Amino acid sequence: MSGSHSDSREPSGSLSRRHWLKGAASLAGLGALPVHAQKPPADSQVTDAPHSLRTDERVSCWGEHQAGIVTPRPSAGMVASFDVIATDRKELERLLRGLSERIVFLTQGGEVPKLDPRLPPADSGIMGPRVQPDGLTITVSVGNSLFDDRFGLQDRKPRHLQRMSAHPNDALDAALCHGDLSIQFCSNTPDTNIHALRDIIKQFPDLLILLWKQEGTVPPVPEKPGVPPESARNFLGFRDGSANPNANDSTAMSQIVWVGPDDEGEPAWAHGGSYQAVRIIRNFVERWDRTPLQEQEAIFGRQRDSGAPLDGGKTEHDVPDFTKDPEGKKTPLDSHIRLANPRTKGSEKNLILRRPFNYSNGVTKSGQLEMGLLFICYQSNLEKGFITVQKRLDGEPLEEYIKPIGGGFFYALPGMRDKQDWLGRTLLSAA
Amino acid sequence: MPFSRNRLLAAAIFAGAMTMQAHAAVAPLELVGPVAEYKLYVNENIDKFVEDVRKFTDAVKAGKIDEARALFAPTRMSYERIEPVAELFSDLDASIDSRADDHEKAEKDPGFIGFHRIEYALWEEKSTDKVGDVADKLMADVLELQKRLAQLTFPPEKVVGGAAVLMEEVAATKISGEEDRYSHTDLWDFQANFEGSYHIFELLRPLVEREDKAFVEKTDGNFKTVFDTLAKYKTAEGGFQSYEKLTDRDRKILAGRVNTLAEDLSQMRGMLGLD
Repeated sequence: MSGSHSDSREPSGSLSRRHWLKGAASLAGLGALPVHAQKPPADSQVTDAPHSLRTDERVSCWGEHQAGIVTPRPSAGMVASFDVIATDRKELERLLRGLSERIVFLTQGGEVPKLDPRLPPADSGIMGPRVQPDGLTITVSVGNSLFDDRFGLQDRKPRHLQRMSAHPNDALDAALCHGDLSIQFCSNTPDTNIHALRDIIKQFPDLLILLWKQEGTVPPVPEKPGVPPESARNFLGFRDGSANPNANDSTAMSQIVWVGPDDEGEPAWAHGGSYQAVRIIRNFVERWDRTPLQEQEAIFGRQRDSGAPLDGGKTEHDVPDFTKDPEGKKTPLDSHIRLANPRTKGSEKNLILRRPFNYSNGVTKSGQLEMGLLFICYQSNLEKGFITVQKRLDGEPLEEYIKPIGGGFFYALPGMRDKQDWLGRTLLSAA
Repeated sequence: MPFSRNRLLAAAIFAGAMTMQAHAAVAPLELVGPVAEYKLYVNENIDKFVEDVRKFTDAVKAGKIDEARALFAPTRMSYERIEPVAELFSDLDASIDSRADDHEKAEKDPGFIGFHRIEYALWEEKSTDKVGDVADKLMADVLELQKRLAQLTFPPEKVVGGAAVLMEEVAATKISGEEDRYSHTDLWDFQANFEGSYHIFELLRPLVEREDKAFVEKTDGNFKTVFDTLAKYKTAEGGFQSYEKLTDRDRKILAGRVNTLAEDLSQMRGMLGLD
């Protein structure tokens, strides 16, 4: 896009638009929130820490499944990928047992041991002397490469686990892809995730090497009593998560998300786990913001503001009926939602549970914003889930505005059953 | 988990005491010997460095590119062995050993001088025409370093801490191969950094062994892995192959051991009761 074009647009278009936006925003603000709710106490100081009522939130790290998969997504997330440099099975076990111990401490909270001040401190200190759980979940998944000849686990690989391969629109950066092990951190604040990551890096220097990480956030919305919860918006301004399966429906989850005895060909050790697909998807937001709204909506197949499908309805919860629109006059046949979930007979087998975060990293060499979606999804069958859905999406009009640059496929281990259990026990003790 | 901290943590938790004293049974006098020996080691290295830099800069000034290339990596080794002490003089370290990205205009920056500027001339520009002055300045800086080191009192905590600092150097910026990016002679630097760190560890071994035998065994094991891994890349002439020959697997082995050594050696000061 030429510089002169945007220069010439600046004075007339941008100013009046900004003015209009400002007016609209203040009106909306008055309508939605009581004014006093936003006002800090009179004696607050500039550098006072913002208050949170949620630092004590504690998500159990024990159960049939790991936390952080069907757990409601908090506002800060991170995926970190590692190479395992353990040299044998015994060392791998030391890693997984050690990780499990740290996960218990970090997610449940507690006092950080105080050491002699002449020694380096026991942790980074960024949560203070007492670690608050802050809603933290830590989810450990293993990659295809962990099942090579290093640990003798070749015959235990989950049936569909594979190295992520590039789709036509991908421009995968090798430095942002794959790994032996992924750890997903989710909590109420980015600092809590960073604290947990630094703890793990410090504890296992001889077993893990960090390959890449991506952080992301989810914008909170005001609570609206009497109105069904809304999905958060992505950096393209659209709601992301509409029509996600109901994570509270355990029957649906056991079909869509959890691997179990019904999943043919899956090793017994893997029951209770789930396939994790991670994709770092850059969004070309400047270009998107210069695209007419109706085109944006046709590309997604939803109205931007409400999230309602294009064939009618008022909210994102209204279900589109594609059978009444076979030619795609209302919802284009190549729109994102229609390709992702055509709602035809049998397409329910391709459902996935999405759990994405928005990421923002800096500026590209071309002076554009490097931001997009840290896409994470879970499914009981990687082939029928993410891979099939992505194949249907290959070539979609949205591709002009997005570029997947990294990620990987992993298998989320079954949960720790109780305080004696550890992540990966079933994998390593399987016959 | 590094063993010794594991032990400390466990001790802290089981004792129910939230404050934990390091062992600190080492009397300050006991460090006098190791520190004096370390000073000798530094002197040996700086003398060798001066001698080698003279040959190297002579070759550069005479336009003998092949000879200068061959001397580049071995010349640097005596500096890399004593880097934590050499770096106490940050002005000299900057002019001797800064990299292009320490400077705003990178390779084109007039402030980019020293070893890596000459490396750039030898491998990228393939000409020594522009670096005659740089060679003179390098020689002068190295002589100045020798002078200052002769007058330096070695603080024990700097000596003991130096073992870990060398590992931090490797972990933070060297393991990626960015140090000697034009010549790819990084493995020489690695070897020298590890030798320097291991030498400090050796000098302190009797004291550390008294405090924590398992720590010594584990650290010995990690150093051995590192030296064995590097030995795979030795050439018949006694040098090292190009960094580009380093396999991904070996790079990760080195990175893991470097991180572990950095983590473990960072406890040695406290273990010996140094502030």
